[in-house]
Amino acid sequence: MLKIKLTSIMVSDQDKALAFYTGVLGFTKKLDIPVGGPYRWITVVAAPDDLELSLEPNENPVGKAFQEGLFAQGIPATSFESTDLDADYARLREAGVAFTKPPTAAGPVKIAVLSDTVGNLIQLHQTL
Amino acid sequence: MLYAVRVLIDPPSFRRLVRARELLAEDDRPIAAIADEVAISQYHFIRQFAALYGTTPHQFRTAERVARAKQLLSAGRPVTDVCFDVGFESLGSFSALFTRWAGVAPSRYRRSVQVLMRPQLVPGCMGLLGELPAGASRNSREAARA
Repeated sequence: MLKIKLTSIMVSDQDKALAFYTGVLGFTKKLDIPVGGPYRWITVVAAPDDLELSLEPNENPVGKAFQEGLFAQGIPATSFESTDLDADYARLREAGVAFTKPPTAAGPVKIAVLSDTVGNLIQLHQTL
Repeated sequence: MLYAVRVLIDPPSFRRLVRARELLAEDDRPIAAIADEVAISQYHFIRQFAALYGTTPHQFRTAERVARAKQLLSAGRPVTDVCFDVGFESLGSFSALFTRWAGVAPSRYRRSVQVLMRPQLVPGCMGLLGELPAGASRNSREAARA
């Protein structure tokens, strides 16, 4: 049986990304392994047995073009679930996070969009 | 966070900031002129840009210039040419800034990359590990064509 235990997001700076995803968003660092040169294999989790999110350097120009193109079009690179979107929105704004969309009802969910400061727009969603 | 401000960027402002980032990367006008062109006050421009991109407009422009300089130096261009190509007017300020950002003087960077490049074919992924800009190496198809 196969399991999905890992997903990844490209980041323009791994140190800044780790600081943002742990210190601001509130995830926990799971792995941080040097993989040669200045690059590391870094994953964060929301809970110990949660799906791991790898913070991948976007140095490959193809990855960089894709990431910048999505951002410029206002398209979130991924979406994280929130159990209380209004509370998370208030907490993150207080921490200085830039939002491009405040909590907004969208059918069966409520969504908001923020910038992770390392090249991605991130959607937050709460199932209503 | 660079600035402790609450930032909600509406769609028109978002588009202006995306445009401003392109302008910062491609021309050398002062930051104030870029802010003017996208019709955001300089005060809000710096704060909104920093909140959105995690770097001030000035830092972003410097990072872009250093990255471009690395590419040109890797391709073997003389340091003086690269200095002017990436928008500096004095070799001294270019060298000082490049050294601060890249950790090595431009001439030394150029030499070290040239040595690395000598064994000809460096696969893209290996180049990345050696901190070479991705454009610095050729793949086998490009090499065959050259």
